[in-house]
Amino acid sequence: MLDFRDVTAIAGVGYTPFTKDSGASTLTLACRAVLAALEDAGLTADDVDGLATHRVGDSAPPALVGPALGLTDLAWHLDQFGGGSVSHAVVGQAALAVAAGMAETVVCYRAINARSEFRMGGTGRGVPASPEVQYQAPYGYVAPPQQYAMYARAHMLKYGTKAEHFGQLAVTQRANAAKNPRALMRTPITMDDYLASRWIAEPFRLLDCCLETDGACAVVVTTAERARSLRRPPVLISAAAWGGGTSHLSGPAADPTVTAAAALAPRLYAQAGLGPAEIDVAELYDCFTYSVIVQLEDYGFCAKGEGGPYVASGATALDGPLPVNTHGGFLSEGYVHGVNHIAEAVSQLRGDAGDRQVPGAEVALSTAQPGYILPATSALILRRS
Amino acid sequence: MPYRPEPDRDSREWWQRIATREFVVQRCDTCGTTRFPARAFCPACRTEAWHWQEVEPEGRVESWIVNHQAFMPGAREPYVVVMVRLAAVPGCLVYGNWDGERPPEAGERVRASYNRIDDTLTLVNWAPAAG
Ligand SMILES: [Zn+2]
Repeated sequence: MLDFRDVTAIAGVGYTPFTKDSGASTLTLACRAVLAALEDAGLTADDVDGLATHRVGDSAPPALVGPALGLTDLAWHLDQFGGGSVSHAVVGQAALAVAAGMAETVVCYRAINARSEFRMGGTGRGVPASPEVQYQAPYGYVAPPQQYAMYARAHMLKYGTKAEHFGQLAVTQRANAAKNPRALMRTPITMDDYLASRWIAEPFRLLDCCLETDGACAVVVTTAERARSLRRPPVLISAAAWGGGTSHLSGPAADPTVTAAAALAPRLYAQAGLGPAEIDVAELYDCFTYSVIVQLEDYGFCAKGEGGPYVASGATALDGPLPVNTHGGFLSEGYVHGVNHIAEAVSQLRGDAGDRQVPGAEVALSTAQPGYILPATSALILRRS
Repeated sequence: MPYRPEPDRDSREWWQRIATREFVVQRCDTCGTTRFPARAFCPACRTEAWHWQEVEPEGRVESWIVNHQAFMPGAREPYVVVMVRLAAVPGCLVYGNWDGERPPEAGERVRASYNRIDDTLTLVNWAPAAG
């Protein structure tokens, strides 16, 4: 079997500003983020032989970005269908391609005008073309905030999870965002602010929901060996896993309080040769507050049903035993469909996260949407070189 | 109504039967496993032979939301969507609007109520089971 652990690395990260209206096409955003990530790595576009992205009909594929940057002979590319479920799989597949020698320098990017053009949860967008939606959409049940709210209430009913647990997570992540110059929302919030925010879909309030954002983010994947000769400290890809299969819509679904991450986590940890106790910082896909709580359980940081009390204990704060979403996450930094979680993990492991730096962070977990809507998930374990 | 369902080749007959208030699921001819939604293959034994089986339109409430935001044009807010575990198909969750005078309760028994939209379309809502 291919020796994968720590064979590849992330050598650079790049961002565009996060805004409510970028005023630019997704193609332009993608190019800007790709070039920024290359600049960070100390590389140029001429070094690139692979491009990868994920999208749901809302962005520019490698077939557009490559020619736009004059890359007319790519050795490898990937245009992955999917939203946040596959954000980390894209990087994992790029790492596999590099480890296998198919390509040497792959830039993975996600460009999205999620606020000004393609709102996930908003009105005016067509119903997704999956045959399953015929059993939900006629009832006005179609948007991710509704679906996650449904699963969140199931968790509340089964385990006694409280609104204040969700609220504590939102408050904690906003405190992190206050230390992140890139974050869209930096004004601290209190529990009272959380509880007073308007209902979206009970049990979710406005502050349970992520910020739909315009922006792009990219990471450069290359061999660990080559990364050591580049500008920035390399961050090793110790494990990459993706998979799933259980739908929580109308298909076979034993328990809506358990996500695909519960099955994926043991494979991921085994690849890296470590367990949750060794994770210093976790960037967990936070499309909604509840998605973090269920992942804390399914990735083994606390017992099933204990995610709420775990957050309420302060465990996920910057000075807690498991700092979570140190950048503020989708809830406060902005929503770039998973890739900004990976980039923040890289920043933490390089030690360049500024005021929000977790001292001595050596191992990070970064995760994708845990598998509620598209029945798949993906995750990475990254390590300081 | 915010969205009219577009039946596919697997589901068309299910919607036709629901329009006559016949609540059916599929039952595998090979292994007997029941399933929903309508699909050609049995996920348990991967064979194609099956028949419709009429079942009691009953289940238990596993969760619900009270929707306050206009995610789709034409929906009136607030409204309740309930997630029901179908008694006839273990492991299957189905959805519908709540047809009750009071809010749902966790785990309560519910029964389908039929919301006739027109000659060809009826939607399944959920109401507290009698008794
Ligand atoms: Zn069968």
